[in-house]
Amino acid sequence: MRHWPSKIAFRTGLCAALCSTFLAMAVSAEQSADTPQAQADVLSIGGSVTEIIAALGQEHRLKARDTTSSYPPSVADLPDVGYMRALSPEGVLSVGPSLILTEEGAGPPEALDVIRAANVALVEVPDALSVAGILRKIEIVGETLGVPEHAAGLMAEVEADLVAALADAERPEDDKKRVLFVLSTQGGKINASGTGTAADALIRMAGGVNAVSDYEGYKQITDEAVGLAAPDVILMMDRGGDHGLADDELFAMPAVQLTPAAQTRSIVRMDGLLMLGFGPRTAQAVQMLNDALYAKGT
Amino acid sequence: MSLIAEDIRVSYGKHEALRGVSLTALPGEVTAIVGPNGSGKSTLLGAITASLPYRGTVSLNGQDICGMKPWQLAAQRAVLPQASRLAFPFTVIEVVRLGLQSGTAGDRPEVPMQALARVGLAHYADRTFQELSGGEAQRVMLARVLAQVWAPVENGQPRWLLLDEPVSSLDIAHQLQVMDIARGFARAGGGVIAVMHDLNLTALYADRVALLATGKRMAFGRPQEVLTDEILSDAYGCALRVSAPPPAGIPFVLPHAASA
Amino acid sequence: MTVVSDIAVAPRDQLNHARALHWVLAVALGLACLVNLQVGATDVTLSSVLAKLAQGETLSQIERVVLFDIRLPRLAMGILVGAALAVSGAAMQGLFRNPLADPGIVGVGAGAGLGAILAIVLGALLPVWMIDRAGNHLVPFAAFLGGWGSTILLYRVSTRHGRTSVATMLLAGIALGALAGALSGILVYIADDRQLRDLTFWGLGSLAGASWAKVLSAAPLILLSLGTAMMLGRGLNGLALGEATAAHIGINVQRMKSVAILAVAGATGAAVAVSGGIGFIGIVVPHLLRLASGPDHRTLLLNSALLGATLLILADVIARVVIAPAELPIGIVTAVLGAPVFLWILLKRRGLVEL
Repeated sequence: MRHWPSKIAFRTGLCAALCSTFLAMAVSAEQSADTPQAQADVLSIGGSVTEIIAALGQEHRLKARDTTSSYPPSVADLPDVGYMRALSPEGVLSVGPSLILTEEGAGPPEALDVIRAANVALVEVPDALSVAGILRKIEIVGETLGVPEHAAGLMAEVEADLVAALADAERPEDDKKRVLFVLSTQGGKINASGTGTAADALIRMAGGVNAVSDYEGYKQITDEAVGLAAPDVILMMDRGGDHGLADDELFAMPAVQLTPAAQTRSIVRMDGLLMLGFGPRTAQAVQMLNDALYAKGT
Repeated sequence: MSLIAEDIRVSYGKHEALRGVSLTALPGEVTAIVGPNGSGKSTLLGAITASLPYRGTVSLNGQDICGMKPWQLAAQRAVLPQASRLAFPFTVIEVVRLGLQSGTAGDRPEVPMQALARVGLAHYADRTFQELSGGEAQRVMLARVLAQVWAPVENGQPRWLLLDEPVSSLDIAHQLQVMDIARGFARAGGGVIAVMHDLNLTALYADRVALLATGKRMAFGRPQEVLTDEILSDAYGCALRVSAPPPAGIPFVLPHAASA
Repeated sequence: MTVVSDIAVAPRDQLNHARALHWVLAVALGLACLVNLQVGATDVTLSSVLAKLAQGETLSQIERVVLFDIRLPRLAMGILVGAALAVSGAAMQGLFRNPLADPGIVGVGAGAGLGAILAIVLGALLPVWMIDRAGNHLVPFAAFLGGWGSTILLYRVSTRHGRTSVATMLLAGIALGALAGALSGILVYIADDRQLRDLTFWGLGSLAGASWAKVLSAAPLILLSLGTAMMLGRGLNGLALGEATAAHIGINVQRMKSVAILAVAGATGAAVAVSGGIGFIGIVVPHLLRLASGPDHRTLLLNSALLGATLLILADVIARVVIAPAELPIGIVTAVLGAPVFLWILLKRRGLVEL
């Protein structure tokens, strides 16, 4: 968060680059943005990109989405072109997009090559794990859709919310709770987040400490390592179903039994996209997690 | 133009299964290899057919088999194994045709049916091999072998049938049928070497008998010379008596007369 | 003996039957190609494009891209991969004298998988110039090398004094498969989140990544291997009688086996490399053909190529229309369709064929 001051300069540079790159598209998109009944011709790939498009008031321009796009709930009615990393080129072309906005990492590369060959504009929005990154995503989406003024408004709003949420969540280092993000418990094995992940970033933003810092990414860890990590709270994605039962099962796992979290039965479940998407709702996620971590405790 | 095995030695690990056995088989004759279990009968045939590594020399129609290609050997001799397992559901006629592939009758499509008829199974041509009884399967394999060397003499050279216990799973009538076929092949100029278990059939059909015991050749000669009381008793380790009824002059073994 | 009347009964000729089947299957493959080009997520159809071309109209960009850059390379890859998998299966089953043998069993699949995983996980460590050169071909190429290398290693392990023991080879294949699996497991552990997702989708098998570049990278090896395999018919027939008897009827068994192994490794490695793990084609296709026209490998190999290609491109049609605009990995389609057929074959043939 120390690099905020460079944000403005960066934004200006990016703006210039984007304006020149997507000038033609922006111009045509500008026209359609003016008319609310504009033809829907955008395929959005990636949950946070879809969220940003909707938050910019451009949901009506969405023609299709990928499987990870689940918010706002109304996008569920759009055709689903499949998982973002296993796109079918013909499936993508069949929804007839003139613009594809995608999060980083869509694929396979061969599919993207063919899609580009069909003269469909494809804009990749870089992943982000910081406030600056989120604002950048909004900015790129806004520019690409030709609604920079909407984007500026949303960015101001999101930035204010995030700054407030972060300030609210900030607390002294030795007062922070240790949080273990558990991706899955398949086959009795805990798959937990190390550093460099969205989960890690959110935990830190919400005033917690990631209990695991020995490795990067999501990995299965041994039972003893879970004990050593000594999390005060376990954080998981909300997958629906009976949480009471799932919690009993979780806390009965030998790995988890030893942890402080098990003593106090401290578990937080949040929607996966809200928590890990790093889209416009991240301030809400920070606040929710922070509340969940500290509202009752201490 | 004969099949000559000289000083054949075969070892399985440390165990020496054949300890220097020689054998000369002539075309026009049925040569039987007999002996008790484990005496090395099938091992000797294995060496003669180049199926297992051996020391010594085997020459076929004057040529060392060591330097011969599989297809050259296949054109001169056919081998009937003791038991045949077939991997896929081939029909009987297809199995017999397999014998044609490298044999000398490759361009004669009528040969497989004639070979099947020879073993009395022409009406089984369309059956699946796996449906057959053990005895029928053995006769089909004989037909396959016959198809491979259909003409007993070709280009002035004898062809060879090398049979490993050809009658082991046959009833008495088919034992006689198969041995008649073997003898017929020999009488037509071909050569036959057969590993035999049954001393009576050996006496009945063999022109020459090699008797093996513990990896060595105990005797070699005409049945009358080899199938004698003392040689057999010595080889098989039990007292045997050979009787030769005067009229036919052919010896026969009488197990009833055995005494331990 | 009723020799004369016996001979009068001409045997039903399975060989001619199987040769007639060549033509039937070739026509079926042609029809399947037409269906494959006609159907897809977009409303572009072969018939409409042909009609346009006949009237001298120019095609729209979408029509050109969908037909020539998406469906045609995908069709070509489906034909190559389907034929390669089915022929590899038929040849491997003949070689091992076991109708359940499959290149997957002798470690070609596991080796190719290890190669692919190595490339996905460790590829980033390569010098930049290498990555630039290899580009999208890094994973397919590594998969092929892995399949090839494991086959050669397998052959070394199981060959003594110039003789290959099929039993040793099967056991060595199991051991190599386990080893490749373990190494893959280690790599999966050190893989990051995004690499893991790549691994999952590679493992399921798909024709979705088809491109002319991929087709051209796999075609020479697959065609060479298939051509070689077509010449194995006689030898594999003989081998059905056992190795010793095959030698007795004039087959150079050792050489035939080496050639067969190389052909199988080439075809399977290249196929797995461009399409991932597509199962059951190699087992089901030869089985169906043996039921239809007997086990003679002289016809079985070519028929397997034709039927394998036909079934795979039809499976591909299913894969891409069932949940359009998304698509199923084709490995799921072949498993869902193939596994029940396979079980049915087992039930039906139990007792008749030694497994």
